[in-house]
Amino acid sequence: MVNGLNLAFQYLQGFSVLVLAAVGLAIIFGIMGVINLAHGEFIMVGAYATVFGYHDLGLPLVASMALAVGVTAAFGMVVERLLIKRTYGRLFDSMVVTLGLSLVLSQGMLVLRGTSEPSVPTPFGTISYGAFSQSVYRVALALAAVAVLVGVYWLFTRTEYGIRARATIQDEGTARALGVRTERVYSTTFAIGSALAGLAGALLAPIVSVTPTMGGTYLVKSFVVVVVGGPSVVLGTGLSGGLLGAVDAVVTNVYGQTAGSIVLLVVTVVVIRFFQDGVTGFTDRVRDRLAREGT
Amino acid sequence: MNDRISRRRFVTAGGAAMVAGLAGCSSDGEASGGTSTDSASSGGTVKIGVLEDRSGTFSLVGTPKWKASKLAIEEINADGGIMGNQIELFDPDPQSDNSRYKQLTRKMIQQRDVDVLWAGYASSTREAIRPIIDRQDQLYFYTTQYEGGVCDKNVFAVGPTARQQLGSVLPYLREEYGPKIYTIAADYNFGQLSADWVKVLADENDAEVVGEEFISLDTSQFSSTINNIQEADPDFVMSMLVGKNHTAFYKQKASAGLEVPIGTSTAMAQGYEHRRLDPPAMENIYAGVNYMEEIPSTANTKDGGFVDRYYDMYPDAPYLNEEAETNYFSTYMYKKAVEQAGTFEQPEVREALESGISLGPERAPEAPEGETIELDGATHHVDHHMWVMKADAEHNVTSVADRKIPEQFLSETVGCDLTSEDEETQYTPRDYFEEAK
Amino acid sequence: MGTDAFPTGVLGRFEGPNTVGSGTRFWAALAVTVVALLAYPSVVGPFAAGQLTRYLVSAFLALSLAFVWGYAGILSFGQNAFYGLSGYAFAVVVGNLASPLGTTVGVGVAILFGALSALVLGYFMFYGGVRDVYVTITTLVVTIVLNTYGKTASQVFVGSVNLGGDTGVGIGEITLGAGPATYTLVQPATYYVIVAVLLATYLGLRALVNSDFGRVMVAIREDEDRAEMLGYDVKFRKLVVFTIGGGIAGLGGVTYMAWGYSITPEVVFSAAAAAYPVVWVSVGGRKTLSGPIVAAVAIEWLRTTASVQFPEFAKIGVGVLMIASILLLPDGVVPGLRGASRYFDRHGLADGSRLAIDRARRAVGRRVGGPIAVDESSEVVQE
Repeated sequence: MVNGLNLAFQYLQGFSVLVLAAVGLAIIFGIMGVINLAHGEFIMVGAYATVFGYHDLGLPLVASMALAVGVTAAFGMVVERLLIKRTYGRLFDSMVVTLGLSLVLSQGMLVLRGTSEPSVPTPFGTISYGAFSQSVYRVALALAAVAVLVGVYWLFTRTEYGIRARATIQDEGTARALGVRTERVYSTTFAIGSALAGLAGALLAPIVSVTPTMGGTYLVKSFVVVVVGGPSVVLGTGLSGGLLGAVDAVVTNVYGQTAGSIVLLVVTVVVIRFFQDGVTGFTDRVRDRLAREGT
Repeated sequence: MNDRISRRRFVTAGGAAMVAGLAGCSSDGEASGGTSTDSASSGGTVKIGVLEDRSGTFSLVGTPKWKASKLAIEEINADGGIMGNQIELFDPDPQSDNSRYKQLTRKMIQQRDVDVLWAGYASSTREAIRPIIDRQDQLYFYTTQYEGGVCDKNVFAVGPTARQQLGSVLPYLREEYGPKIYTIAADYNFGQLSADWVKVLADENDAEVVGEEFISLDTSQFSSTINNIQEADPDFVMSMLVGKNHTAFYKQKASAGLEVPIGTSTAMAQGYEHRRLDPPAMENIYAGVNYMEEIPSTANTKDGGFVDRYYDMYPDAPYLNEEAETNYFSTYMYKKAVEQAGTFEQPEVREALESGISLGPERAPEAPEGETIELDGATHHVDHHMWVMKADAEHNVTSVADRKIPEQFLSETVGCDLTSEDEETQYTPRDYFEEAK
Repeated sequence: MGTDAFPTGVLGRFEGPNTVGSGTRFWAALAVTVVALLAYPSVVGPFAAGQLTRYLVSAFLALSLAFVWGYAGILSFGQNAFYGLSGYAFAVVVGNLASPLGTTVGVGVAILFGALSALVLGYFMFYGGVRDVYVTITTLVVTIVLNTYGKTASQVFVGSVNLGGDTGVGIGEITLGAGPATYTLVQPATYYVIVAVLLATYLGLRALVNSDFGRVMVAIREDEDRAEMLGYDVKFRKLVVFTIGGGIAGLGGVTYMAWGYSITPEVVFSAAAAAYPVVWVSVGGRKTLSGPIVAAVAIEWLRTTASVQFPEFAKIGVGVLMIASILLLPDGVVPGLRGASRYFDRHGLADGSRLAIDRARRAVGRRVGGPIAVDESSEVVQE
């Protein structure tokens, strides 16, 4: 028996985790075409920074999260300058370099901080409905996911950086000829993507166990969302998170967690096969075709 | 072209150098404690191999096992060794990697020629090396709590079985709270087999499993599980969740306001969640275990007792966990068996073990004053003293019940008798109990 | 370069622009290496030989990825999937047909199963128009799905064999043959067999890669669309390459079982395990065949040794190695060595070293700042 409200909450949970984890990767992949296989570890860095800020520095939770975002953004800038910059245009090479980086980061954190961290408490309380109850933080997380998407949309449409970034995606050569400093755009983009990954880690720290190897699951989730989403960053991540979150919630509710994970991955493969450019690639093509056939 | 090095010669030289380098590739330096010799143990030293994870996925639970083995070995060596022979320990780190375990097991047997081997945390590790153990007829102690059912002439699985652990806590919770049980378990062998045992035990204790849920090891989001539990409204939950991702369940259930009591065989005693998570995440969690740091037996808590001795040797250790005690007492069991056999030869020591070894609280701190635990020779398993340990809202852990639970599945149901018939099998409850299906 | 005494007919087929090394000296070096490998167990004893056997098994996996990635441009994280599926298939067949004939048949079935899985996945991907990075992600996802499912399949039976879930499947002995003529494969015979099979696979791939088929593969790797426009059936060729790669990975799976006698999902299907072939091939030299073999053996040996001496830093070392190798030697170590050897070929040992030091000094000087006089005569070393 499927309880509607339960399903809604579980869906929100799935959706928010997927969107938060993926949006950073979507920006980096969408704008720079770089596959960052260390993305999961950036999320891990954000989570660890939050715990560090909360337990070691004694900061309140929000300040710890802000610290985490800053730390991860700075870290991203360093990585971009030292490593990523040298692999532009070489997609597979960027994959291998970031794969190496992910090994260094996850193992390095293990050496640095040991096998697991003290936990960060979950803020807010519970909300009860009938025989059931949920953590209010879950709802907050979903709101945060939507806010992030809105924020990214604003970033790309209303700021200088956003305009330059979109120009660079569309046609790098022309953008450069028109005076856009594309190197700067790339650095800033990578920093923003990293910051968003750090934010995801920070927001997740209160509800999951923070371990050096936590990055792996989030990497797969992020990739799945980005690939299914397609070229449009905001719309793609949002739609894809929505679609995959729904699939996950329904299947998990009826068949259990393992089935949910497997079906999610299978759906990804099917989408890749039938919609090469993801959901928004498909909608773009449909829209183009309609425009041509219309007026 | 005369005085220039040709490309081909360069490649040749490089290749030859590579091969020469590979030829010297058997170097390692993992012997600790005593001098390193490659001869079989014959007067002078006895060689013990201990392969426990100190890095990787299982480092949290593997490190205390290694430490406890070393504690026992140091104590024995300080006391004159085994039959006058000092123990030489070989303890490389398998890094929670089953391929590494296979390589190191071979190394221990073929190169180091160890007289006895302790190895592995996970069941998958045990099963990965069991073929090697059996092919080489190596004496082997497996000390982790596990699903039970291994009837193998070379394997002494001396940790508590699922039937013993669940069998201690389930009847208690049934008495305290009522007959309706909801099972949540990690979705792999140990979890699935433990869930089968919950069904068998429920049947034996006039209780009923109203729902069962299996959760993949990679999952760290438990909203749907929490809602399912609330919907099923059980009297208590049996939890066999395993691994770091599953620790989040206790956090999430607390923040979602789920208060149903939970019985477990895996939480608290191994990964000390009650120390790592903020209260009241572990409130009303009941662990059924043979040992955890907080058990109130005299040999454990007294001055100079097991806890004191462990922290004397390892002041920075974070916790003294369940399997550490098993590593500790099994080392002493081996010593006793050797003394009984009068030799280090493995077949004779095995026979001595099969005649039954019992240990008192001094060497097996899980036993209360005046009691003992026994190695059952026929099944190679131990009749443990089991404790039900409860965590309260401040995460103080106290004992609410305890009794000795003998190994039952292999001895009574299956009829495994390694003293009369050699076997190398693992049995599962589904083959014997209708209720388990 | 020079002329060779060997007739181009026989060995010529194994040489070409797509592989490293040719001519008398190369083949002599190869022969020396093979002899050394064969002598190895007698020199170092059974345990070290067993270790090297494990590394040679990795070489099969490395070869299979080198073949599909280096020569057809398909970066696949899925070679482990075929490797693992083949290992499981072997265990299932051996467990069900418990006889020497069954085991012998099992070898063939397992390898074919590896190839068949690759065929199915390849068809799904290439004929569905999936390209480039999406192929990579699809193969990675497939491997992870196998891992997730494999761990939970603890009471799933194929015939009489339990897939075992997390603890996997084991086999007893490997006895091949039929009827009265049986042979039980144990160490060190296992080692010799694997060396022989690896050598045969390597030579076979060399011949294939240097043939017309290989040249078309390289054309596809360089520019798929152009190859398509030149009239080659790119989809079909990629499918063939992928299937062969799956077969080689399958061969690796069988040799893995011959070494270890058991298999679990974590060892073959985990994302971490799937990443290692990428490490071996990118460090060794993606567009060569010998590079990945050497790199696989060397890196696995380094990992094992490092994990004994410095267990915590072994993985960090591997990560650093990957980063350094891509940034410093983007084509891999073996081509890097070849580049270095060509450099010394051209300039001779003494002159070449002096030039290299000069260049290095100049490069550092430029970073630190300040003009440095340029010595025109030593500039511009063409490769």
